[in-house]
Amino acid sequence: MERVGPTDGYGGGMSMPRRVSRFVFAALLSLTLSLAVFTAAQEEDRASLSPAESRKAATLIMARCAVCHTTDLISQQRLPEDRWIVTVEKMVHWGAELSKEEAAVVLRYLVARNHPGAAAELPTIEQELAMSQPASDPGAAGDGPLTGLSARGAGLYARNCQACHGEGATGGVGPKLARNMILKNEGAFWETVLHGRGPMPAWGAALSHQDIADIHAWLAAR
Amino acid sequence: MAVTRRALFARVLQGIGMAVAAGRLDRASAANQVEATGQAIGPLTVRVSRPFDAETPVREFTSALTPNERFFVRSHFGPPSAEAVQPETWRLTVKGLVKGELTLSLPELKKFEPLTLTAVLQCSGNGRAHHRPQVPGVQWERGAVGNAQWTGLRLRDLLQQAGIKPQAVHVQFQGADRPALPTVPLFTRSIPIHKALHPDTLLAYEMNGRPLPLLHGAPLRVITPGWMAESCMKWLTEITVRADETPGYYMQQAYRIPETSIQPGSGLPGSVMVPVEQMPVKSLIAAPAEGDVLKPGPVTVQGVAWAGESPVARVEVSCDDGKTWEPARLLGEEQPYAWRQWQYLWSARHVGPTAILCRATDAQGVQQPEKSPWNPGGFLWSGWDRLTVTVAA
Ligand code: HEC
Ligand code: HEC
Repeated sequence: MERVGPTDGYGGGMSMPRRVSRFVFAALLSLTLSLAVFTAAQEEDRASLSPAESRKAATLIMARCAVCHTTDLISQQRLPEDRWIVTVEKMVHWGAELSKEEAAVVLRYLVARNHPGAAAELPTIEQELAMSQPASDPGAAGDGPLTGLSARGAGLYARNCQACHGEGATGGVGPKLARNMILKNEGAFWETVLHGRGPMPAWGAALSHQDIADIHAWLAAR
Repeated sequence: MAVTRRALFARVLQGIGMAVAAGRLDRASAANQVEATGQAIGPLTVRVSRPFDAETPVREFTSALTPNERFFVRSHFGPPSAEAVQPETWRLTVKGLVKGELTLSLPELKKFEPLTLTAVLQCSGNGRAHHRPQVPGVQWERGAVGNAQWTGLRLRDLLQQAGIKPQAVHVQFQGADRPALPTVPLFTRSIPIHKALHPDTLLAYEMNGRPLPLLHGAPLRVITPGWMAESCMKWLTEITVRADETPGYYMQQAYRIPETSIQPGSGLPGSVMVPVEQMPVKSLIAAPAEGDVLKPGPVTVQGVAWAGESPVARVEVSCDDGKTWEPARLLGEEQPYAWRQWQYLWSARHVGPTAILCRATDAQGVQQPEKSPWNPGGFLWSGWDRLTVTVAA
């Protein structure tokens, strides 16, 4: 986040040269260069995001941003870093549930992906997530049975699920989860929560298995 | 991002489905909404699927009136719950700096003298995608605009019945739509008293001779002819007469432009921001379409032009990338607030690609600029319209 890109390649930041003809060329050149550097820096940023970080950011966007609007509104933007900072801050202020670290990874992802020089047509964030298969998918079974802590699950539910499944898990954009049959079918529950289903985000990259087990325990106690 | 009809339909269903599940619409009304709009929303280009933002492809602008089903849709939060706008229980309240508060049902409002007028409705962000540097917001291209016939009562008549107190300066509108989370500011707007009392400012319950569709604000919306659409509150439930401009995000931060033009890319500090109000003069080419391949010979170039509260005086067309301009013929009669159709007969001779441009001038002599002044919200784009065609032997 601390990267200070030469984003003022866009702006009025260029001071007027005194000896015009010599300086105009220099100014134009530096403008061109700074634009090129700007785009290259963003491309580099993109490369500097590990696949796991990209997946995490895309998952967070689907899970925490798509509560109020679909991700197409996000994906169609082509913005420099300063405007992304303001936009993400505004969304957090309005109720997007992101910790400082989560906001930072979302911001890096957006600055790298949706910059002014990015292609006019990009795959959707959902498609991008689907295309980036995790190197090794641990799956639910591999870790053996986990003991969920209902008390811990309450807070995790409130932060991650409540916006869509409602207070007390009574339903909202997503179905009612309290006393939902799926809680008894652990295979289906883990499959849905880890990998998502339609508008239901995938949580595999955002929550640990212990977190999910805790949420399950809390839900089962409703 | 044009989508096929089928894909679009699926996306609309998905968007509405989410709202259904959220209990924001009941299943029956969602089905009606799709039925009412579904048949012909096919040609819309969807920008955001929830809340629903979609624009009209410009080829639809070869007709004088834009049909309800093809009219652009802009939603801050999407249609309110069915209960909130149910005709039997829906009420409009008039309060604030009035001598007597009013609460009226739709049949009571229909007893006021009705007025029908044709007016352009345009989203302030129409053309945002053309601003450079790019700005955040829905990336509308050319079609977040339409021309419809609106029927309703005069806001003035209602305010007179309530009796305005002398301190009244602004009239505030609140609709029944609500954000997904209560931490998001409500969409609340106000207009200056002079516009509220203008005899053409309407509370409309009909659009093109049919009951106002849900996506367009049923049962009642504001129409401020000649002004941008954010003043035209949908799903209206409350009118509050105030001594000041409405506070809050959607009046004090959003929908504002610098009073004097600023450096592209520069920030807000230091520039005085004023609310977006009147529509600037603007024209669009409806045919031919971008990318068309034409035969040499006569080609009819046609489109529409409008200028807010002022009449359109002239439209010019250039078929050589802006080097020379020729006057287009204005069709029909001048009608205040409506758009004017125009035509130009071009004899296409030179084989190869060429840009076709149009620009309009209003009765005050204000001409559409090549590019609009940049502003941080990307509002009021009104640059020359431009498309590229190829003449092939
Ligand atoms: C609490 C609801 C909510 C959440 C959560 C949310 N947004 Fe928004 N977002 C909004 C609203 C409201 C608007 C403005 C809609 C309008 O007026 O058209 C908006 C608009 C936007 C825009 C368009 C630019 C603008 O400023 O209007 C972008 C980009 C955006 N959001 C990105 C995000 C991102 C990224 C996230 C997740 C970090 C997110 N949003 C989460 C409510 C939300
Ligand atoms: C952005 C909104 C959203 C968020 C956040 C969300 N869900 Fe969902 N969830 C949905 C939707 C919508 C469905 C229905 C999916 C479908 O129709 O296939 C769903 C379905 C489910 C189901 C399957 C229910 C059934 O009856 O089959 C489970 C289990 C579930 N979610 C758990 C969770 C958990 C646990 C969390 C938090 C970690 C969570 N969801 C967060 C939207 C969301």
